[in-house]
Amino acid sequence: MRLSLRPGEVIDRSRPLRFTWNGHDYPAFLGDTISSALAASGERVMSRSFKYSRPRGVLTADSLDPGCIVQVGDEPNVRASHRRVEDGMIASPQNVWPSLRFDVKVANRAVSRFLSAGFYYKTFMKPQRLWPAYEAVLKRFASGGVISNRPAAGYFDKRYAHPDVVVAGGGPAGMSAAVAAAEAGAQVMLVESEHELGGHLRWGGAHELSVLAELKAAVSATNSIEVLIDSVVAGRYDGNFLAILQRSLPGVTERLIKARAKTLIVAPGLIERPYVFAGNDLPGVMLSGAARRLINLWAVKPGTRAVVFTANSSGDAAAQDLEGAGVEVCCVEDARRGGDVVRASGSATLQSVECGDGRTYQCDLLVTATGWTAPTSLLNMAGDKPTYDERAARFFPCSLPEDVLATGGITGDGSLEQILEHAAHTGRLAAGRARVAGGRLRKGVPHAAPTDSPVAEEQSNAITALPVDAHVALFRGRTHGFVDFSEDVSSKELEAAVAEGYSSIELAKRYTTATMGSAQGKLEVVNAVAVVAAATESTITETGTTVWRPPYAPITLGALAGRTLEPVRYSPMQSWHEARGATPLVAGAWIRPDHYGNPTAEVRNVRSNVGLIDVTPLGKFDLRGPDAAKLLSQLYVNKWAKLAVGSVRYGVMCAEDGVVLDDGVTGRLSDDNYLMTATSSGADTLLEWAESWLQTEHPEWRVHITPVTSDFASINVAGPKSRTLLERLVENVDLSAEAFPYMRVRRGRVAGVEDCLMWRIGFTGELSFELHVPSSYGLHVWESLMEQGADLGIAPFGIEAQRILRLEKGHLIVGQDTDGLTRAYSAELDWAIKLDKEDFSGKPELSWQAERSDWPKLVGLRPEDVTVVPPEASQIVHDGAIAGRITSSRMSPTLGRPICLGLVAPHLAEPGTELSIVLPAGVRARAVVTEHLAHFDPEGQRLRG
Amino acid sequence: MARPAAVARSPIPAFGSTDVVAGWEVSQTSRTSQGATLELIDCMPLTKVLVRGAASGAVADLLKTPFGRASRTLSGVLTTACRPEEWTLYAVPGSAPRLIDKVTKRVPAGELVTLLDITHGRTLVRLTGSRGPDVLCKLCGIDLSDAVTPTGAALRTSVARLTVELVRDDRNGVCSYLMSCDRSYGDYFFGALLDAGTEFAIEPQGFVLPGI
Repeated sequence: MRLSLRPGEVIDRSRPLRFTWNGHDYPAFLGDTISSALAASGERVMSRSFKYSRPRGVLTADSLDPGCIVQVGDEPNVRASHRRVEDGMIASPQNVWPSLRFDVKVANRAVSRFLSAGFYYKTFMKPQRLWPAYEAVLKRFASGGVISNRPAAGYFDKRYAHPDVVVAGGGPAGMSAAVAAAEAGAQVMLVESEHELGGHLRWGGAHELSVLAELKAAVSATNSIEVLIDSVVAGRYDGNFLAILQRSLPGVTERLIKARAKTLIVAPGLIERPYVFAGNDLPGVMLSGAARRLINLWAVKPGTRAVVFTANSSGDAAAQDLEGAGVEVCCVEDARRGGDVVRASGSATLQSVECGDGRTYQCDLLVTATGWTAPTSLLNMAGDKPTYDERAARFFPCSLPEDVLATGGITGDGSLEQILEHAAHTGRLAAGRARVAGGRLRKGVPHAAPTDSPVAEEQSNAITALPVDAHVALFRGRTHGFVDFSEDVSSKELEAAVAEGYSSIELAKRYTTATMGSAQGKLEVVNAVAVVAAATESTITETGTTVWRPPYAPITLGALAGRTLEPVRYSPMQSWHEARGATPLVAGAWIRPDHYGNPTAEVRNVRSNVGLIDVTPLGKFDLRGPDAAKLLSQLYVNKWAKLAVGSVRYGVMCAEDGVVLDDGVTGRLSDDNYLMTATSSGADTLLEWAESWLQTEHPEWRVHITPVTSDFASINVAGPKSRTLLERLVENVDLSAEAFPYMRVRRGRVAGVEDCLMWRIGFTGELSFELHVPSSYGLHVWESLMEQGADLGIAPFGIEAQRILRLEKGHLIVGQDTDGLTRAYSAELDWAIKLDKEDFSGKPELSWQAERSDWPKLVGLRPEDVTVVPPEASQIVHDGAIAGRITSSRMSPTLGRPICLGLVAPHLAEPGTELSIVLPAGVRARAVVTEHLAHFDPEGQRLRG
Repeated sequence: MARPAAVARSPIPAFGSTDVVAGWEVSQTSRTSQGATLELIDCMPLTKVLVRGAASGAVADLLKTPFGRASRTLSGVLTTACRPEEWTLYAVPGSAPRLIDKVTKRVPAGELVTLLDITHGRTLVRLTGSRGPDVLCKLCGIDLSDAVTPTGAALRTSVARLTVELVRDDRNGVCSYLMSCDRSYGDYFFGALLDAGTEFAIEPQGFVLPGI
């Protein structure tokens, strides 16, 4: 039932909404939560419990409410006491079948004595072969809603922040601390988990509302406070690195803020603790805070006839609020005067309450106010081990690091004014400490001119501690009831766990799953500790608590994932490739054309006409300085001192263990300037390798190596008609074989573009020219080549065709035809290794390898069956033992038969040796070792043409 | 048949209609009448020259820009120093030869200095607007507050998981960042910035001379 206007209500009665619950239409107002709207319509049962299918309703009326977890649309596990109703929203109970009113799992209650703690471990472990059957059934009993197979539609985001002060908790203490910190010059982030600031002031009386209005005005008037509502500090890590989950943003579903706070103020207030007694989970039994929230925030009358069991001022205030709302309060059972409640009874909802002295009251509402739990999670994450105060019957912070402070109810009691004053002092202290930390940080920031501003001195640490009020220690009454409402764990089960030997709270927690439900211990932990303490005849202090770990509140996978940031690299010709329907190949971060529809035809066209391939990803480095040749000589196994200007040379690079690291071609552009190339995938490694040698071994060398991969669009023009094509576009360079022979480099103008480099090299075995043109003109040159080559039969070719062409020619690919153990001699690179050089990377290992003959060798292989192409990585076997593997394998369009490269044992590397290749399914194919690695044009006449 | 004139193109795909400015194909600007409050400009046509040399050498004396800072010590040129013993000079389009010549003349023979025209190898964008830090803080972990990253700050950091040279270079008192990354990432980088700026009504803009 909806009450008349309340002074602090958060609903907008001028904005009515409709939503669906459990298949029926319900009214609501803007500002209603799902549970408040349902309660206003008289609904009391909002869910069924996880294990015993017990009806559950509003207990806390906030985000922790374990009985109000529902499905909204395709989103499971929505906190119905926190999520606001939206017009047209479709909400439904979860984990019930066939209906919320009658759930088949009610049958579990009949066997509840067998479903105690450890039931799964004891029952389903043997026989092991039946586990799949058990699993299939148990899955149907798992709690939680229905997950959509579709990706979440919302915008999930991340953000970094560097506030001076983060205040976790937007209640009166948090607001006061934030304002004070901001007024002291700090940039403040104020984080509140509810939809509005104010904490318990929101459902308080006139004085509280007046103070709230003043605090809100002060926060609003302070520009340096960033207010995050519906947000939570989910974790605190070293260096005050905070994970903050932010919701209720326009256009953003959830945002994970990674904040590096100079100071953290923890001001979460206190969480009201349920009381453990028989029937404490019945709908109609709720905490005093829940009753007050329903009445004062959402103008909902929570019942008609109530018993109030109180041990503190919150219970007293609830009794007053209930009477003010027209609820008949038939009994105020005061624990401070020895009162107790031992049983709540009813079928689906509360019908009667039995007090400790035997009095029984017929009622539909029982409000309990039996104590507080200090949510110390963030403090625990900062290394604090809170201590239990028997007088106050709750835990308090003990020792905090310099960059973490606490204020508000978590630190003590006192009047509202005392709390605000304590918080203000804390805020000023936090600002001072942040200033000191910031000063240290800024000392490391480069400035145009040195700054002499001293690091600010920290303010006094002296803060008058809040008083601590005595409170009756109320955890469990004389009867057993539920300790963990989310996991359906009772005090009886905890006692049974202790009896079975799980006397440590950490073990009892895991054995029973108490505190492991949706509230993650915030409602249950102190009661669980108290029950275990009583069962072990020890004190709460001796028993200790479970460990609080991040996250403080659940975080969606979407928030953790954030936006998809997967960097990709494109060549300047990418748009052309896409327009021609090229099939993309993901090569590291590069997206390259694998082929344009028919790689076989692309190969044939290169052999007969002319083809273009985009080789922009080829690693490229500018080397400058008088010692550039020394660096090259150190990095490569071959010699560089006598490379003439205008010439290029193939080089092989080995690591210190002699294993082939990379290869490429380097051209000498002038006396002190070289352009070095590397494999696309090896470019980053090469740069690190070169810098490592320069910075650690030879800092005296005067050479700079600069990556210029993306400065050039690289195009290989390959095929017998390539020279003819280029003659139409190249100016200032004589392209004849005599003037521009193989392995030379020239600089000239191509298609009107200045400063293009042309290399007479190629990977295809054909006459070819590799053009390196300033990237911004890459598309222009490419399009010009295609246009000018139309009558020559020009066609683009992709990576697949290039791989076939190079395999026909017998060129190895580092990383494919070599592996992490392949030394240079194994890769048939003997001709390049110059052991007579003074030094180079890998020389000692290669010298050792040269003296031995027991290393595998790369060979060309010709399968006998011309129809069978052995898959790459196929085993090569000989005399019943593994003798090697196929490293590269393709059908050659040029030769009309399969061609392979393989690494084989040395005694099998002689040309003509017959080998056996193991094909899939165990079939064997025979192959013969060829004389050369090259299957096509081994003399190289075509490429030198 | 006359060959079409060579036109330089940015790695950032054109948005809207295009024009040719200083030999570059650029997107035409689409500023609203009041001017966008947050805009992302493709500054690819600007000249970029990489200078490497000793921190205690003649080139350092000439550029007068310490590590971590950006300044305009050369006329019309923004000099940034995001790495030790390395500077990047940004200037109007087509000025690389002049700049390289100018610096070369001031370097004594025998001093090891590398001067490279990297205009075509680096994507360059400018993010301008008071919400610029809000966009960048979604992609970059650096503290962008005035106290830590004031105008004139220059650093190499990670933005959208890329290595980016980030320079705070305010324009007429409005927060502005000049960012450059490897050219091949340009399309991705521009898209990531636009995505991050959507909630702040970011507008992509074409290059307009002089641009620096």
